[in-house]
Amino acid sequence: MTERGTMETLLALEDVTFSAGSVSILKPVSLDLVRGRMTGIIGPNGSGKSSLVRLVARQQKPTSGTIRLDGRPLDGFGERELARRIAYMPQFTPPAEGMTVRELVALGRFPWHGALGRFSGVDAEKVETALERTELMRFADRLVDSLSGGERQRAWLAMMLAQDASCLILDEPTSALDIAHQADMLALVRDLTRERDLAALVVLHDINMAARYCDELVALKDGRIVARGAPDAIVVPETLAALYGLPMGIIPHPATGQPLSYVA
Amino acid sequence: MKGQRILLPWAGLGLLAAMLFAMELRAAWPQGDDALQWIILQNAVLPRAVVAILAGAALGLAGLLLQRVLRNALAEPSTLGISAGAQLAMATATLYAPALMGWSVGFVAFAGGIAAVAIILALTWRRGLEPVSVVLAGMMVALTANAASAALILANGDYLFSLFIWGGGSLVQQSWDPAIAIGSRLAIGLAAAILLLRPLGILGLDDASARSLGVALHASRFAIVALAVWIATTVAAEVGIIGFVGLAAPALATLSGARTLRQRIVAAPLIGAILLWVTDGLVQLASGAGGERLPTGAATALLGGPLLLWILPRLRMMEWPSLTTPMAASRRAARPVAMLLVTLVALIFAMVVALFAGSGPYGWTIATGDLLADLSQWRIPRIVVAAAAGAMLAAAGVMVQRLTGNPLASPEVLGVGTGAGAGLTAVLLINATAGLFWQIAGAAAGALGALLLILGVAARGKFGPERLLLGGVAIGAAASAIITAVVAMGTTTSYTLLTWLTGSTAQADATQAFTALTLMAVLITPALLTVRWLDILPLGGETAKSLGVPLIRARFLVVLLAALMTASAAMFVGPLSFIGLIAPHLARLLGLGRARDHLIGAVLLGAALMVVSDWLARMVAFPYQLPVGLFASLIGGPYLVYLLSRGAHQRG
Repeated sequence: MTERGTMETLLALEDVTFSAGSVSILKPVSLDLVRGRMTGIIGPNGSGKSSLVRLVARQQKPTSGTIRLDGRPLDGFGERELARRIAYMPQFTPPAEGMTVRELVALGRFPWHGALGRFSGVDAEKVETALERTELMRFADRLVDSLSGGERQRAWLAMMLAQDASCLILDEPTSALDIAHQADMLALVRDLTRERDLAALVVLHDINMAARYCDELVALKDGRIVARGAPDAIVVPETLAALYGLPMGIIPHPATGQPLSYVA
Repeated sequence: MKGQRILLPWAGLGLLAAMLFAMELRAAWPQGDDALQWIILQNAVLPRAVVAILAGAALGLAGLLLQRVLRNALAEPSTLGISAGAQLAMATATLYAPALMGWSVGFVAFAGGIAAVAIILALTWRRGLEPVSVVLAGMMVALTANAASAALILANGDYLFSLFIWGGGSLVQQSWDPAIAIGSRLAIGLAAAILLLRPLGILGLDDASARSLGVALHASRFAIVALAVWIATTVAAEVGIIGFVGLAAPALATLSGARTLRQRIVAAPLIGAILLWVTDGLVQLASGAGGERLPTGAATALLGGPLLLWILPRLRMMEWPSLTTPMAASRRAARPVAMLLVTLVALIFAMVVALFAGSGPYGWTIATGDLLADLSQWRIPRIVVAAAAGAMLAAAGVMVQRLTGNPLASPEVLGVGTGAGAGLTAVLLINATAGLFWQIAGAAAGALGALLLILGVAARGKFGPERLLLGGVAIGAAASAIITAVVAMGTTTSYTLLTWLTGSTAQADATQAFTALTLMAVLITPALLTVRWLDILPLGGETAKSLGVPLIRARFLVVLLAALMTASAAMFVGPLSFIGLIAPHLARLLGLGRARDHLIGAVLLGAALMVVSDWLARMVAFPYQLPVGLFASLIGGPYLVYLLSRGAHQRG
């Protein structure tokens, strides 16, 4: 499963730490993200998952350490320059009051045309492609707020696609969705990483969902990476027990053979 | 010990207050057998100190109760419009029902106060009494009540001036009656608060938890609010408006380490008493013997504004989840450009009617020929000034609402309008007959000062919505205090300021019209260049950042432009109008959703609304002219009620 994509390192975290006041949230963390691969971050509440992805999206600055994008420190990027490379979906997407789906998706072109530039034919084309790829065409002129939770989440993903970034960062994109929409959303993200040779970093709570769709899992506990690797290597009783402090068992998926965890 | 370190400053302040009091005593102590001096000592000096202590304690308690039941660290008698409501009720009663005032001043004040709170609670009920909205609604109610009081005073001349002096919150005493009234209410309030300790504790939780713990939620909440209003309006009726003590005392009690409710019920009144006693001591020291220029209430507001700014970042109050609760989703216009043309036609129609139609000594007339030529030199400048001011307020409103993502935000909340008033006050204080140029220059300087302050405050919070809104309210309150203090002097300056407060275009001339037009052109053009930011900013800082918007720079520029437009408009039509709040909503109701259409539509509608308001203000009570600012807010207030009562629908 490692033969896919160009496998070139896109993002690299080197000994990154983060503290809020005197509370240390991330102990030195090193990690690299590779194109064509979807990386899932799992871990108990308060383990620093959200902080980690927020640092990568430059929503917050690390307390120490460097994050490099294509070998360049993240600090050196201009705002729009970075937004053309990294797209980020926060854990709670804000209400897009009075905005249609197409308008929301079109905001993804801001990094390209800026505050005063013309909204060009290329921009319009990218918006249409993103709408088509996320199967939102028939909702394009509906108000975002009138959509169901799953469709709304897809509209935000479409905005990220229109952004044409090489790295997608999603903070718990499935937390408010039912199981069918969770599966839809994650399958879509996985397919996109392959089609467009993107690096994706996704925070997930559900280990089984994470194991099912991610190429690689990173397990965080108390601000440290305690395990990292392919899902079969991470979703084992010992690792999960250490991660959640709860005895857990594993059975193979009847069809795919992927590991499924349960509380023992 | 930590406890001692925290108690020490209060002990020190108490000692300072006592020393100031000792100095007053020494100054007033009778020489030999002077009977008059004895009377002054017994009936003026001593009761004044007692009233300061009791009123401070009462306000501290009222503030604590309100903050607790509304779960809002910024609730207090003046931010909730209770004091302003009481003042308006007393002004109205003095004019139209003097018997009622003779019967019970306290009752009239209570009725006004409770009405103000009822309006605010009704306005924000659907938004779950979310703190920022409650404070914004409170400020709107207070501003409107103040403008209405000012208009009553203007219309009735000297008769009501004493009331405005009272409005400044002077602690000068002639007898022990106020002390007894406030003291008895305070005692009842404290006893009730101690009895209600348990429900009060639970009311600090969220509604669902409180209800599941078996508290009769609304009944106990309303009972406690009514109790707090009763205590606060008693103070208002006896000594006038004293701002910020009710806000600062509970906050300082918490910051000083009073953790449990029981500790706070003791600490907040004590701290309130010390604060007001010290302030009053300092006011007396500053005014010298006999001089009574600065009312103590104005002084507390003057000290309180900065205090509020200092407290804000130290309070945990922003955990309320629904700051961005949306208004009901609006439909979208199929062809926005056509809709913009309709609003343009509406504006032109309003201007034409305002120019030609008028009510004269012989009934309604359509002016033509020579009459029109005569009248246009009066009417055209007014129309131009009104339109330009309305356009700027509307543009500022769109920008502030989009920046903060709060549909209740309006240019008034930036505090620059009242800042302009404070500047105007300063100029008039130096020279009561200063010309228009100096008046405008003073207003501009005041607005700029307020603007720099709000930018400084907001910058520390990275121009985030909450800091901006609450900082603006604080600056506005401090500036209002300066204006009130000077108006309370009762000189010719007061009339100029009152006229400005109610917002009048009656003196508009060609120079003013030209200035207004130029300002509008210079400020709205750059505003149009920010529409792409304005599309993204309502989605919040995170989204804006991940889309590559230079967040701090964008917010800074938007705030700067909005503030400049507000200040410019305030110079012509006074500090309040609601146009900046309403025009953006109307544009949205017409289906103008994208920032560009929204901005242009609101500008056209704002101009039209202001022209209509001005025309109506000129016509309704002909030959008398009503102030346009007040008139616009009388139109705007009910609309606001309607808007909010439709409320936010729950998101699925």
